[in-house]
Amino acid sequence: MPQAGLKTIISLSFVLAIGFLLVILSCALWKAYYPLLVVATYVLAPVPNWICGHCANPDDFVESSGAAVLDLGRFCTGFLVVMGVALPVLLCHSGLISTPAMIMSIIGGLLIYGTIISFAMFFQEDQDF
Amino acid sequence: MSLPEERLWRFRKPEWLNSIWVRNAGVYTAGGLFSLAFYTLLDSAVWSKSSRNGSTIHVGFVDWLPFIFSALGMLVISNIEKSRLSSESFSYTGYSSSVAWKARVILFLGFASLAGGMAGGVTVFVLKYVVPGVQWPALGMGVENLVSNFLVGLSTVVLWAAVRILSGGITPFDLGAYYFKTPTGKLYTFE
Repeated sequence: MPQAGLKTIISLSFVLAIGFLLVILSCALWKAYYPLLVVATYVLAPVPNWICGHCANPDDFVESSGAAVLDLGRFCTGFLVVMGVALPVLLCHSGLISTPAMIMSIIGGLLIYGTIISFAMFFQEDQDF
Repeated sequence: MSLPEERLWRFRKPEWLNSIWVRNAGVYTAGGLFSLAFYTLLDSAVWSKSSRNGSTIHVGFVDWLPFIFSALGMLVISNIEKSRLSSESFSYTGYSSSVAWKARVILFLGFASLAGGMAGGVTVFVLKYVVPGVQWPALGMGVENLVSNFLVGLSTVVLWAAVRILSGGITPFDLGAYYFKTPTGKLYTFE
């Protein structure tokens, strides 16, 4: 349905804007721009699955090497997703950013990543993010 | 193919553990655990150079050595082909004994490296923090070193268990279901 698709696009861009608002607020309010790394992390997080999905051979049914490449992509995705949460906690623990900045950057980062994943799921059903 | 007479344990493996979703979630969890391990150690290194560290103890390269060994061990264990370990396999493709021998030696070195990394973490903790009597919060750096190496080992176990779910090989859950021994002591398997 084009109507449902339009509503989905509008709501997803709204959520993405809120995520970016939270991350930019966490940076600008305290003038410490380390939480922008969270945006870079979550923008890069779908990339390993995408690359390994194209590198793996879907027709290679007998050998399990295709599964190995896909598992490498999933491992790297898990690494990057947890990195998005671990990095603000690390910076807050060492006193480089304050606790409200950490909370806002984690929530904003998760909203950005959730938007990317939802977009991929809604408009590309066969992708395995 | 699992016969009920050959079952070793009283509890069977649940059926939901055989799904592709659980397998993929296990691989994601392993990546997350490794990331947690890496950032725990990085947290101790960043904290040691921050303004909150009142002591003169700092995290150097020696503190990273156990994590490097643990990560190398995890790399070796995760990348080896587990089905090559049994040389007396009943399948007619027939793995040669030389490949099985190499696989066992490399797997042993991988586990030795992982265990050495964990032991190295304990060594650094004892020599650098416990013996000089370092107080909290500087002691947190040594604790984070221990937690980091333990999380790498846990990530290795989760990755092994997840990858072996649907591969037809043995997992820690159903080890007793697929193997049996002849009176002469040879080990056979149903693939």
